[in-house]
Amino acid sequence: MYALQLDQVSKSFGDFKAVDDLSFTVSPGEVFGFLGGNGAGKTTSLRMVLDILRPDHGTISVLGAQPGRGNSAQLGFLPEERGLYRMMTAIETIVYFGRLKKMSTPDARREGTALLERFGLGEFAKTTVDKLSKGMAQKVQLAAALVNKPKLLILDEPFSGLDPLNQGLLEDEIVRAAQSGAAVVFSTHVMQHAERLCDRMLFLARGRKLFEGNQDEARGTVPGRLTLISQHSPATLPGVAEAKATGPCGDGWTEWDVEMTPNADAADLLHHCTANGFALRSFEQHKPRMHDVFLHIVGGAEQVQ
Amino acid sequence: MIHNLLLIAAREFRQIAATRSFWLTLLILPLALAAAPLASRFFADKEGQSIIMIDQTGGDVAKAIKRRIEQNEQRAVMVALARHTERRNIRFTSPQPEWSLRKGWYDDSAVDRFVAEGGLKTALAVIKIASKNGADGFDPPLIGYRVVSPPPELAAQTPQSIAKAVETYLRPAPESNAKPVDYILFIPASFGKSPQVSLWANGQPRSFLVSMIETELGKNLRTGYLVANGTSAQVAGQVDLIAPAIAITTPPQGKGRERLAIRSALPLACSIILIMALMLSGSWMLQTTVEERGNKLIETVLACVSPNELMYGKLAGTVAIGLTMIATWVACGLFVAFATHGEIAELIRPALEPVSSLSSIATILYFFIAGYVMISMIFLVLGVMSDSMQEAKAFLNPILFLIMIPFSFLAPAVLAGTKSVALTVMTWVPLYSPFTILARLGGGLPAWEVIGSGVLLLAFIVGEVILLGRVFRACLLNSGRRPSLKAVFQMMRSPG
Repeated sequence: MYALQLDQVSKSFGDFKAVDDLSFTVSPGEVFGFLGGNGAGKTTSLRMVLDILRPDHGTISVLGAQPGRGNSAQLGFLPEERGLYRMMTAIETIVYFGRLKKMSTPDARREGTALLERFGLGEFAKTTVDKLSKGMAQKVQLAAALVNKPKLLILDEPFSGLDPLNQGLLEDEIVRAAQSGAAVVFSTHVMQHAERLCDRMLFLARGRKLFEGNQDEARGTVPGRLTLISQHSPATLPGVAEAKATGPCGDGWTEWDVEMTPNADAADLLHHCTANGFALRSFEQHKPRMHDVFLHIVGGAEQVQ
Repeated sequence: MIHNLLLIAAREFRQIAATRSFWLTLLILPLALAAAPLASRFFADKEGQSIIMIDQTGGDVAKAIKRRIEQNEQRAVMVALARHTERRNIRFTSPQPEWSLRKGWYDDSAVDRFVAEGGLKTALAVIKIASKNGADGFDPPLIGYRVVSPPPELAAQTPQSIAKAVETYLRPAPESNAKPVDYILFIPASFGKSPQVSLWANGQPRSFLVSMIETELGKNLRTGYLVANGTSAQVAGQVDLIAPAIAITTPPQGKGRERLAIRSALPLACSIILIMALMLSGSWMLQTTVEERGNKLIETVLACVSPNELMYGKLAGTVAIGLTMIATWVACGLFVAFATHGEIAELIRPALEPVSSLSSIATILYFFIAGYVMISMIFLVLGVMSDSMQEAKAFLNPILFLIMIPFSFLAPAVLAGTKSVALTVMTWVPLYSPFTILARLGGGLPAWEVIGSGVLLLAFIVGEVILLGRVFRACLLNSGRRPSLKAVFQMMRSPG
């Protein structure tokens, strides 16, 4: 059973189509990146998963059930825009959200205390939120999302506004949750986090899905790039789309920046060179960064951080 | 649903009840009520208004006026004694003192007898004999006028110079530290031959005083006229005593118009307490809702609870805050009643009469809670439409104005006991019916009017919760832009 399944889901606000025919699945134990630029439809999609918004078309299945507050005991959610009740203490806040997620007060308090200890906030448990630093408050909010040990953890732009220390802590918690069997869905437009964390990912632009798959499959969509040093131009070799000379290397050798044709394999090119006596002094294959993959798939329509 | 609703209500309640401003505001009302009598005593004019009388006819005219003033003061003391003994239910062994007979009016001869028998001092002693603690708590009425002997330099003035001389006494120089005199009456030696006297007042003179002076001077003029025309002085004096014997009957204490006032006191207080509690708790709820939006908390909460649970939870929390306020005020009242050994309870017993039946209690509770839900719902939606308190106040002020305006004539109309058209209309306007019904309970309301108004109010609240509930849900996640009135109406039309 999938932890989350969207099937042909659409949502419009007036004339504006925020989500268009979106389908994807997330399995338990999987970290799923929900990637897109600003206004791509990420938050709308996640709000539909949480039943804060209702889709116009399509179906959503959350842990085998329809979206709704009946699932709240098994869900964890960290919204993009974060805030806490200023006059509640850290532990009261966590217990309150734990109670809203159907936990008993003692369980919520025990788990909340453990999370605060783990986040280095044990001594601030009884401090009101208005007296905590922004970073501390962010940890409290993360603890409120995790207190019920959710089976589906939804994080909307979780890294925005976090300092590097808290970003590291959040990455650890995402990995920890996935290792304990939870499905983690997080939206972001910062590709470095996706690259480090995601088992699979989905690229979204203007409400439409452009890609869904793992990182290798994503990189496969980007034409390969090579740096070669040869005596002759590689432009005519099979699988080469374009070759530009970047500078002479002496003794008749030249460095080339080579762009492969889509789906061409660099290993095949190397084999061809070896088999046909095409002299090479250097053959360096560049693995595309996820940032480049994103730019390639989503294109210039989205602004990428 | 109930679980989440109660959790939200409890959190709302705790957040408001945990603030110092809540308890401070809560205690201000009982403190103000306790301080009011003290303040009124503190600021009251205990000495009465001062009168200087310069009588150049020989002094008899001024003496007669002074005697009249003193008689009126003593009459007021007799009325106060009668009310006190009646309220305390003090029984006298015969002969029953004349001042304890609850009369509508004590004539001059009765007043003279009261003074001759020792006045207030003797009366209090008689009360103590009849009831050991019976005289406790008796407050003699404050005196109205104080006759001051004329200073020699003023008494020696002529009719031509007096006008200038009184200025120093009416408006003394600030550095002199002298108290200004309220009235100066000048009766020239020619009075009798001429009706002319002069009265200088340090403000608009009280008509009662002027009328009293006029009566006494008139008597003097009439006697002089009769004597001058051949009537003997004895007969002329008797002519002045000829007066109608008016038998004045007043209802027993706590009856008649006074009864209406007493019976309406608690219902009116309920109405005012409702509006006060609403204004206070409503503004607190507004603050918490704005905070939830301002702090971007709504989405986190909505992941766990439905918008309806959030809305009903907040309403329940606010009603709980309101009821806590009422309970605290009632507890303060009971404490005072206990601390004053039941004296306050004795006073308010007649006022409790119209609100002590089961149907009255049910009516009060129903309209109180319904009024709370109705107005709180408006506050709640205002909160969810605003990103800051400043923004919320822009919506709030006209609505508060709309709710508060009728209060300017509600209490006078209820106390007047007249069949006011405005009161009848307000009874049937749901926005005002909780306050109006509560306020009118003391005067007696037909059952059909209470039930009809209650049903209409319930229907209004159901419609309000449905329509404003749509606005609430639509506005929950709309941050950054304040909806126009047109947009609000569109939200109401859309089931969402």
